[in-house]
Amino acid sequence: MPSTEPRPLSVAVDIGGTFTDITLQDSATGRAWTAKTPSTPHDPSEAFLTGVRLVLETAGESAARIGRVLHGTTIATNLILENKGAPTALVTTEGFRHVLEIGRQDIPRRANLHAWVKPRRPVPPSRVFEVTERIAADGAVLTPLDEDSVQRAAEACREAGVAAVAVCLLHAFTAPAHERRVAELLRAALPGVAVTASVDVLPVVREYERSLAAILNAQVMPAVSTYVRRLEERLAEDSIDAPLLLMKSNGGVAGAASIRRAPAVTALSGPAAGVVGARAVAAAAGVPRILTVDIGGTSADICLMQGGAINLTQRGAVGDWPLPLPMLDMVTIGAGGGSIARVTAEGALAVGPESAGANPGPACYGRGGQRATVTDAHVVLGHLPSSLLGGRMQLDVAASEAVVMREVAAPLNLSLHEAARGILAVVDSNMVGALRVVSVERGHDPRDFALVPFGGAGPLHGCALAAMLGIGQVLVPPSPGVLCAQGLLSADLRAEFSRSVLPGQADLAAIEAGFSQLEAEAAAWFAEEGVAPPARSTERIVLMRYAGQGGELPVPWRGANAAADFAAAHRALYGFDLPQGRAEIVTLRLEAVGALPAPVAKALPQGAGAQPTATQAVHFESGTAQAGIYDRAALGQGDRLQGPAIITQLDATTLLPPGWVAEVLEFGALLLRRLT
Amino acid sequence: MPLPLCNAVTLEIVRGAIRAAQAEMEALIERTAMSAFIREKKDFYTALFDADGVMAVGSNVPVFGDICGPVFRDFPIETIREGDLYWYNDCYGSRGAVSHSNDQVFLAPVFLDGVRVAFVMGWAHFADIGGLRPGSISPDATEIFHEGVIIPPTRLIRGGEINQAALAIFYRNSRYPEQAQGDTRALMASVELGVARMREVAGRFGAPVLADALRQLLDRTRETVRGRLRGTFPVGTHRFTDRIDGDGHGSGTLRLRFALTRTAEDRFILDATETDDQSPGPVNFLMNPDVPGMALGLYFLGGDATQVVNAGGPQSLDEVRLREGSLLQPRFPAALGMRGLTMMRMLAALNGLVSVAGGEAPAAHAAYVIMLLRGTIGGKSFLMSDGLGVGYGARSFADGIDGVYFVAQENYPVEFLELEYPVRLRHYGLNCDSAGPGRWRGGCGIVREYEIMAEEAVLAVRLDGVENPPWGAAGGMSGGPGRVLVNPGTPQERLLRPLSDGNRVVRGDILRIETGGGGGRGHPYDRPAEAVLEDVLGGLVSAEAARRDYGVVIEGRRIDVVAMDALRSARPMTKAFHRGSYADALD
Repeated sequence: MPSTEPRPLSVAVDIGGTFTDITLQDSATGRAWTAKTPSTPHDPSEAFLTGVRLVLETAGESAARIGRVLHGTTIATNLILENKGAPTALVTTEGFRHVLEIGRQDIPRRANLHAWVKPRRPVPPSRVFEVTERIAADGAVLTPLDEDSVQRAAEACREAGVAAVAVCLLHAFTAPAHERRVAELLRAALPGVAVTASVDVLPVVREYERSLAAILNAQVMPAVSTYVRRLEERLAEDSIDAPLLLMKSNGGVAGAASIRRAPAVTALSGPAAGVVGARAVAAAAGVPRILTVDIGGTSADICLMQGGAINLTQRGAVGDWPLPLPMLDMVTIGAGGGSIARVTAEGALAVGPESAGANPGPACYGRGGQRATVTDAHVVLGHLPSSLLGGRMQLDVAASEAVVMREVAAPLNLSLHEAARGILAVVDSNMVGALRVVSVERGHDPRDFALVPFGGAGPLHGCALAAMLGIGQVLVPPSPGVLCAQGLLSADLRAEFSRSVLPGQADLAAIEAGFSQLEAEAAAWFAEEGVAPPARSTERIVLMRYAGQGGELPVPWRGANAAADFAAAHRALYGFDLPQGRAEIVTLRLEAVGALPAPVAKALPQGAGAQPTATQAVHFESGTAQAGIYDRAALGQGDRLQGPAIITQLDATTLLPPGWVAEVLEFGALLLRRLT
Repeated sequence: MPLPLCNAVTLEIVRGAIRAAQAEMEALIERTAMSAFIREKKDFYTALFDADGVMAVGSNVPVFGDICGPVFRDFPIETIREGDLYWYNDCYGSRGAVSHSNDQVFLAPVFLDGVRVAFVMGWAHFADIGGLRPGSISPDATEIFHEGVIIPPTRLIRGGEINQAALAIFYRNSRYPEQAQGDTRALMASVELGVARMREVAGRFGAPVLADALRQLLDRTRETVRGRLRGTFPVGTHRFTDRIDGDGHGSGTLRLRFALTRTAEDRFILDATETDDQSPGPVNFLMNPDVPGMALGLYFLGGDATQVVNAGGPQSLDEVRLREGSLLQPRFPAALGMRGLTMMRMLAALNGLVSVAGGEAPAAHAAYVIMLLRGTIGGKSFLMSDGLGVGYGARSFADGIDGVYFVAQENYPVEFLELEYPVRLRHYGLNCDSAGPGRWRGGCGIVREYEIMAEEAVLAVRLDGVENPPWGAAGGMSGGPGRVLVNPGTPQERLLRPLSDGNRVVRGDILRIETGGGGGRGHPYDRPAEAVLEDVLGGLVSAEAARRDYGVVIEGRRIDVVAMDALRSARPMTKAFHRGSYADALD
């Protein structure tokens, strides 16, 4: 349906380490313009605005026609991963100040008890302060809140010089009054300090995880708030009064106001935007089931989607910390283009998780890299053309050959090409393991899916990964290296509203009442985001388990059918159900979506037959072959290529091995198919 | 040298595929098991064995012995068929491969095209399998018959046919048959999944390549451990003795005496025959001869993620000598249920052997603590078994770990505990001043204070290291002891025996358990004053202890540098070990 919006322009801004990419799209015509400007790490909003101006100029458009500004941000992610958030205090129930330090009282299953060091908590015990109060498991007040103790805690926070405070009181997810009151008193006593109550971030059982969620939220709040405010000011300076929407970990966007309240929901903002972009590409290509793999320099993010539905998990983690906020069910592994290959003293080949990063980067970048990386292995095998970024970067092939020879081939007594193939085989195998986690472990057969590789290094690995999984189709997005923009432009507003239910104590009426409350919360959110009633939709989900089990499964709520629906889901996933077991509901979750108008996709002009610009020797396992090098920008709709071929573009390189064919689809994606 | 069938690249890929299969099996158990023991405490493990039943990929828990041998004894390996599933918990029948009866082992072969290529194991601690008291393990037990039903190696599935009668007998013997059934189904599903995954791995690479890969993983671990044994122990005999407080039945202190001999011919012999006699109480640890090698292997492999814990550890020792009738090789039917504390002390004693030889092993840790509370609430019986963390030993590069139980075993969150059981927690925190002082301090123990909400209940508790706290090394001091109190600070205060059962508590009673800390390493005066200050502000070390043990004087939130310098200028002498006082050797 063509859009009839009065302000049909959307602008999407993706801030990377080196460049800020801006895409402007007219949702009425599907026309899009892009611009690139150097990032400004001292104040990212500078490049943000420069880019917006640049793209408006390129398009000859006016700011007044912008309907919304979309943005994915890695600020929260980086602060959490690098432990660089604001100095934060935790306020908790008297008697429990060490809950955070103790954690779950375990040495992780994969760790060695002699060598393992407990990760440093984002708040040390010296900055955890107690307040006098106590609520029982059923919500009854055992000890009323002593407000003087809150004032003492506020004084201690002031003395400790913190910029943020998290509040997590026992059983607050059942009875939040004390926690809310403590937060209120702290806000009054500590002006300018960011205060987060745990129930406003994650109102579910388990005090350690909820404390962490509150702390991570509090810790990133000052920086994210400042950042968002700067962006809004910048937009106002240029008379852009369109709403600023930010990408969340759940694959949806939300307005700046709700992000300011709970910035932790942006912890996976960057990768989520890419996945949503892959979903848009798949939808345009008419591919219903996809496995996405986003391969960057140091890590790969892997996700599964069916029929455009976004699967959420509440077992997610960011770095060392569990963060059970609803987020894309994504698996991240430490394998990417910069991952370093090495041979251990015992003669084992290991690839990653150590990475050469952007500096010095792989040896072939010629910046002094002395370690053999995954990218160097590609270079040795001829998978990459000798110049990248449209000729702006020359690859030092001899340097790659030297490091792969010295670091891997010689110690393992392998030939240069065997060693390079070995590095790729190991890294591909790690990624296949993660692809299996999101597919096979969740009860799906990967062969029923198309693989969508993206990120700068994704399309180099796509066919190899597909072959290992028995997948016959690989869909390469039009701009695999900058898919975030596409994700931002196609995302809807999304939010989840959850409530724990006392196990086994919820009858149908109580559940109805619980959902009604969540729906009221959702309605308030819809109103805040300005979503018109026809664009609103909600889905009721119950998280269920057999009484006694530790893991819950999400089941769409169909009233009295819940037990049977749950048993079927349990069978599908785990291979058995327990007819005698008592199925119980643990959590109610309402998933709310505010649909944003989908941009009209723009078709590519018909192709005139693909012509290689050059050829290059590529060393496949089956032997060395001359591969044509094709410029993707010169390809048109319907153009077909036969492997071996290398397809280059500014943001990525696609490797098409022998036995594979590629076809350019209507909306610009490349469909790679394995010949049987 | 002929090229191996499986090159380094394929080896790494096979290893990754096996690890992935293992992770998948574990995830399935964790999500589907029914008892809180498994789902929250996560007391379960998986492992993979080669076609002959030799452990090729284990877990980072050093308590496994030879798992497959007992099955092969009763079911010769050549009679094992595709689709079979074997099950046991028989401690004496497995020579300690399982060391208390709650642990159930499920083992299945993997076949590819009719050829046996591997075995897969799932293992978990079941909450109750009958016996003297709910929870099946009790400090009161004096025979293994008091500790629940014994399952000798049993073929549970053949030709798709499940031996339902055996399962029915098993469930009938549990006080919580639904949990036993749910947990059994979870383990069976996990092993089935592991078999499918391993068959895929074998199919992908071929049986000969898989076999070669597993052999190489074994060889690699054995050679690494062997090399590090040689690097640590000069030719000669190295001795170390450690102690447990007793068996709870009046034995008094019991000693574990280890001697590791490296002969001139480079044979490594571990001799534990001087260990004290077995006890009537259930602290006997039926140690499979593979266990010390597995444990030393785990230490020597350290945190290197490219290494695999497997039978290469045990294979690196040439001989393990045990004496029948001793605490480490008790005679049937001695009780074994509380062997955990002896097992933990055995691990500390092995660290002691490394230290005596000049290596830098961690100082001693406390043994994790368990409590079992059984009673009635509203006419319904309940069993709560709660695990409490302890302090681990200081390392030469880091403090000991604060407040952890063991590998892979999690606590019951306060909110979860109060939702599920008739108790309310008043306090859950780290035990101030329990950490052994040192340049690197030991880990802190735990304090957990419960208010009893049940009408009445009977409490069992297991806490060791009260009389013989975990030792410190290289100038570090021993950890603080734990204790168990009822109604502390009131006229009704009573101190419970730390290893005891049958303690009656009633509604409103306050039960306070304090667990011990780990030993320190290095002279406490060498600990940076800022680190001591941070510990004081965090409630881990008191200001008095900072002054007394570390020579750091703290006023308010600051260090009094002048007073500190004065104190630290008179530096106490230290010796190699410390348990209560410094000593050149422990006995």
